[in-house]
Amino acid sequence: MIEIKSLSKSYNKGRVKAVDDLNLHVKPGEIFGFLGPNGAGKTTTIKMMVGLLTPDNGSISIAGIDMMKNPLEAKRNIGYVPDNPDVYDRLTGMEYLNFMADVYKVPAKERKERISYLLEMFNLTDAVGDLIKSYSHGMKQKIVLTGALLHNPAVWILDEPMVGLDPKSSHLLKEFMRKHCDQGNTVFFSTHVLEVAEKLCDRIGIINKGKLIAIGTLDELRHGEQADSLENIFLELTEI
Amino acid sequence: MKTFMSLLKTNLNVYFGISALKYRFTKEKKRLWEPILVLFAVVIGGGSLLVLYSFLLLGVFMGGQGIGHPEIVLTFAFMATQLLILIFGIFYIMSVFYFSNDMNILIPLPLRPAEVLGVKFIIILIGEYLIALPMLLPAFIIYGLGTWSNIFYWLKGLILVLMAPILPLVIAAIFVILLMRFINIRKSKDLMVVLGSLLGLFLGIGVNFLTQSIPQGNEKEFITSLIESNTGLIEAIGNKFPPSIWATLGLTSPGWQGLGYFLLFIGLSLLLLAVLLWLGNAFFYKGYLSGQEVQRKAKAISAGDMEKRALKTASPVVALFKREWKLFIRTPIYFMNGIAGMIMVPFLMLMPLATQTEKMSEVVSLAKDPKYAPIAALVSLGIMLFASSMNLISSTSISREGRTFWISKLIPVSPKDQVLAKLIHSSCLSLIALILIALPLYFLLDMLLYRLIIIIFIGLLANILINILGLIIDLLRPKLEWNDPQEAIKQNLNAFLAMLAVMFIMFILGGIAVLLALKGISELWIYGILALIIVLLSVPSIYGLFALAHRKYNSLEI
Repeated sequence: MIEIKSLSKSYNKGRVKAVDDLNLHVKPGEIFGFLGPNGAGKTTTIKMMVGLLTPDNGSISIAGIDMMKNPLEAKRNIGYVPDNPDVYDRLTGMEYLNFMADVYKVPAKERKERISYLLEMFNLTDAVGDLIKSYSHGMKQKIVLTGALLHNPAVWILDEPMVGLDPKSSHLLKEFMRKHCDQGNTVFFSTHVLEVAEKLCDRIGIINKGKLIAIGTLDELRHGEQADSLENIFLELTEI
Repeated sequence: MKTFMSLLKTNLNVYFGISALKYRFTKEKKRLWEPILVLFAVVIGGGSLLVLYSFLLLGVFMGGQGIGHPEIVLTFAFMATQLLILIFGIFYIMSVFYFSNDMNILIPLPLRPAEVLGVKFIIILIGEYLIALPMLLPAFIIYGLGTWSNIFYWLKGLILVLMAPILPLVIAAIFVILLMRFINIRKSKDLMVVLGSLLGLFLGIGVNFLTQSIPQGNEKEFITSLIESNTGLIEAIGNKFPPSIWATLGLTSPGWQGLGYFLLFIGLSLLLLAVLLWLGNAFFYKGYLSGQEVQRKAKAISAGDMEKRALKTASPVVALFKREWKLFIRTPIYFMNGIAGMIMVPFLMLMPLATQTEKMSEVVSLAKDPKYAPIAALVSLGIMLFASSMNLISSTSISREGRTFWISKLIPVSPKDQVLAKLIHSSCLSLIALILIALPLYFLLDMLLYRLIIIIFIGLLANILINILGLIIDLLRPKLEWNDPQEAIKQNLNAFLAMLAVMFIMFILGGIAVLLALKGISELWIYGILALIIVLLSVPSIYGLFALAHRKYNSLEI
């Protein structure tokens, strides 16, 4: 579903390597957790995957479509939520959702069903007539999430999706992610909450200083040592 | 005191962007010509204004001398400065005290409200010196030199000039703090923006009206007679705000009396400053925090309503157009700047005529003459184009997206369609402006209907070209990093660059039209040729815009 080959990106004219020769393959039906310390290159990788940043090198393919060669088609298959939801403050929630549905060309019937389903799930139905300006951080996060999932994309790419969500929404989102993947789709998300990664993810990738230093199921990462928690593995691997 | 100085230093740094500027010049070395160009423009523009103002003051001084009251120039300058600072200070203080983003960082710090307020006050004060010094110093120097004043005059004067902005600013601050404590204006921040803009607009028109009403050639006599007849008026206004009289008397009265007024002025300033700090401790944070509570209607949408709304599907270009339109209309600073130019320019252009009724009727009757009607229509077209292109809608179109630009990069809509939606949006507003300006001219000049339609049509064609160029300029170097929408439009050099581009096009089109008219070519041919030139320029421009959009929407990183 997601295929990343020798992806590189550097800042300050090549002096800072944010992402360094990254290779990654995420299969259909898989929830993939992307971990790493602050500044490791998680958000840079994600932004390249959704077309917000242009890679210096390498290729990304989403649902079999090359992001660089056919960006519009690739984007149609992605539902992306950034870590910091900057949205149009002066639109109402409903106007924003309708805008997203229009640009992703979601037919009226499907649009109606999905909007009411997602709003109900995130408990946003009452707020959707208000300007987004008046929303709390978590509500903004949820409206962006709703907007990103309206077109029922095969691949969800979520940057720190649980941050700012209340326990109930967070729980529902996790269930929703599982359901989505059980239908043969893919979820790729970054997180700092290791317990979530441990419980939810089929596979985990750990990135440090732009390089992918470990990838596999939790068992594979443990190297058979049953007692080792993900926290210990993470601390060991990311130690300098 | 140490914490206060450190707070002041940091705030000065942030507010005037000192570190950012240093970084730009030493590390980034990106677009260094920009600040230099801005500085150059400010020096040229401000310098010429200063010369004009100094001549006005000289007139006031000589007029005052004629009636034995040369000090009137000082009262005039002090009064004008203090009134201006008082009025604009209210808006300035509101934005820095209550609407700035740094309050969330400052309130949790272990600082007394008075310290935070003091620092913010000093920052505003420094900003106000940029207005106060150029307004006061010329009057101070003219009087000093004109009356051969002694050293005490110069010493006292320098102190008074430096103290002058404090008093009106303190009064404005006290007013704002009390107001914010009892009325939750924060909720209507948008209203404040509109009020502030309108005030600026009226002031601009008012100043223009005044300067237009001075008869040309004998300005000096006019001012002298104005002063002779209005000494009472200046004193009357001065009496309502006695400190400006005290400042004058402190400077011009001899001996102890002068010193007394001088101390009275300074004492009052300091006393009120102390009152402000005391009030600040008591009310500043309370007022700020009470304005923080967000109000939501929490109006649930019924199932039927939802169905109705969700069923309204639109094509991506239409959806983008609707987004542009709503965000533009709902952000007051965009709306005001977008239409202010359109309202203001025709006003300013008709002002010289309106104040001189004889000339006005002469021009109008000339324009109504069928012989000159074609020329009048062409001139009207020129006015319309000039005015309608003064809006900054297309040249800030990408910049206005700011941090939400990620959405435009994310959505599966081609860059071509995205800029097309922006072009349609800005051209719609241009059309509204064209009609708004054309209609008064149509009625004033008894224009024939077909001429009205033709000039609106050609005006629209030209505006599309102008908007394409505006979009190209904004795409080349958009300003996406901003915190307040104001920065996207007012502190955006693209708007200025686009205006230069528009002037250039105007110059070429106007030149061609005049040339053709002088050659005696018939009216319809002139319109035809103009339209053809505009279309010939537009076609490659729009392809250039699409190509650039394709490149930039991919490469722009936020």
